[in-house]
Amino acid sequence: MASSLSVHDLRKVYRSKRHEPLVAVDGVSFEVGPGECFGLLGPNGAGKSTTMKCVTGFFEPTEGRVEIEGIDVLREPKRARQCLGVCSQDDSLDTDFTVFDQMVQFASFFGIGRREAEARSRELLERFHLSDKSGELVEALSGGMRRRLQVARALVNRPRVLVLDEPTTGLDPEARRTLWDILAEQRRSGLAILLSTHYMEEAERLCDRVAIIHRGKIIDCDTPEKLIAREIGRGPVEEEIRPGVKIQRPPNLEDVYLKLTGARLDAGPVDEGTDRK
Amino acid sequence: MNFYRSVWTVWLRHYSVFRKNIVYGMVTTFVEPILYLGSFGFGLGAVIGNIEAGGEQVSYRAFVLAGLIGQTLLFTSFFDGAYGGFIRMYYQKIFQAISVTPVTLSEVLWGELLWCSSRGLLSASAILLIGGVLGDFSWWGCLVALPVIFLASVLFAAVGMLVAAGSRTIESISYPQYLAIFPMFLFCGVYFPLSQLPEWGQHLATVLPLTALLSVVRTLLLGFRHEWWALPLLLAWTIPFIPWARNAMRRRVVA
Repeated sequence: MASSLSVHDLRKVYRSKRHEPLVAVDGVSFEVGPGECFGLLGPNGAGKSTTMKCVTGFFEPTEGRVEIEGIDVLREPKRARQCLGVCSQDDSLDTDFTVFDQMVQFASFFGIGRREAEARSRELLERFHLSDKSGELVEALSGGMRRRLQVARALVNRPRVLVLDEPTTGLDPEARRTLWDILAEQRRSGLAILLSTHYMEEAERLCDRVAIIHRGKIIDCDTPEKLIAREIGRGPVEEEIRPGVKIQRPPNLEDVYLKLTGARLDAGPVDEGTDRK
Repeated sequence: MNFYRSVWTVWLRHYSVFRKNIVYGMVTTFVEPILYLGSFGFGLGAVIGNIEAGGEQVSYRAFVLAGLIGQTLLFTSFFDGAYGGFIRMYYQKIFQAISVTPVTLSEVLWGELLWCSSRGLLSASAILLIGGVLGDFSWWGCLVALPVIFLASVLFAAVGMLVAAGSRTIESISYPQYLAIFPMFLFCGVYFPLSQLPEWGQHLATVLPLTALLSVVRTLLLGFRHEWWALPLLLAWTIPFIPWARNAMRRRVVA
C-alpha cells in the first residue's frame, strides 16, 4: 500500500552568524500509511517539532524529501497541502472570528467555496461537540474546546494526513479523552496521523508505531508493544513511587523512553540511526 | 489556489475583520480628517489666510488638507503594518496558521502588504473627497493622484512590516515610531512649506519619501510647480523596501 506520508533522510541544520551550526534533525526517515497513527517521542529539543515543521513545508529542510500522498511538499507545496491538516503546538486560532466563521474562513485558504465550507463546518463542529459555541468568539472557549476547535479546523479541507504537534498538552483528562475518541474515529476513514507528544500513555494508546527521537535521530521505531518487550521485557517492573511505597506494575512505554533517551544522554552522541521498520 | 487567488483570499480575511466594525472604520476614517480640517484648515487657516508655496498663492486650508493625505497614509498604512502586523504575526500567529495551507507565506505577506496599503488608500480617499467637495482640490487631480497615493501606501505599509519584523516586543515599535515616523510627519511639509526650514533641514527633508509624496500630490491637487525628482524618488524608496520588509518578516516567522 502506498504511504500517505513519507519522510526520506530528513536533515535540518540551523545556521546563524553568532553560533555554531545546530543540527536539529539528522537523517530522519519514516513512512505513515493510510489510517495509521505514527508517534514521534523525544525530549524537548530532540527534533520533533523541527521534523513536523519540515513535514508541513513550513521549514525548508537542509536535505531530504517529504512526500504527502506522493506529492513533494517542497516542490509543490500548494498541491501537497491540499491534503494536509495541521494542528500546531501553539494556539493559532484566529481570535478575530467566531468559532463558525473561523472554520469557514480557514476553508477559503483551500479554495473551498462558501456554501460547501459552511456545510463542512457545521458537520465538524457537531462532531467535535462545539455546535453550541458556533457564534462565540474564541476567547469564550475553554482550553480543551480551543484545542478541539484547532483540530476541527485542521480537518476542514478533508485531509489525508493530519499533523498533530503535542495536541493534548495542558488538557484535563476528560478533554484529552474526547480528543482521543475523535481521532480514533477519523482514522477509520483512512486519515494518517503524525503525532508528537510528551505523554507516553497517550502514545501507547493512540499510536500504531512510535519512533523515539533523540538528538535529531530516530534511535528506535516499532509498535509500542514490541518496543516494551524488546527494551524492558515482559515481566513486571518494580518502582518506588513514593518514599517507602514500592509497587509492581507492567512495563510501559515510559520505561522504554526513559531507558533510551536517558541512558543515551549519559553515553554521549549516538552514531547509528537505527530506523527499523 | 493560484498566486492571485491566494493573495486575494488573505486580503479578504483582513477585510472581513474590518467589515465587522465597518461603522467604526468609516467613522474614524472620516472624522479624523474632518477634525484636523476644522482645527488647522478653518481655525488656523482663517488666521493665516493665503500663503505662497510651490509657486502658487493658495489658501492655508487647501495647503494643509493636501498635507493631511501624507499624515493619514503614515498613520494608517504604517500603523496597521507595524502594530497590526505585529499582533497578527506574534500574538495571533495568523501568518503561521495560514502558511501551512495551500496559501504560502510569500502570498500571506503580499496579502498583508496590500491590505495595509488599501487601508491607507481608503483614508486618503476620504480626504480627497472632502477637498473635492470644498472645491480646494481639482477633481481630475484627485483621480490621477490615486495611484501615486497607493504607491506611497505600499511603501509605508512595507516600512511598518519591516518594523514589526524587527521588533522584539510590541512596545519597541515606539522607537522607530518616535525617531523616524513622527519627525517625518512633522518636518516634511504636512503643515508648513519646506522653505521655512533652515537650509540643511530642507536638504534632509527633501530626500525623505513623505516630502516626495506631498510634492506630487500638491502638484496634482493644487497646481504647484512640478518637481521632476519627486515621483522617481518615491519609487526609489518603495522598490527596495518591499523585498526588504518581506524577507525580514519571512525570517522572523520561519524561525
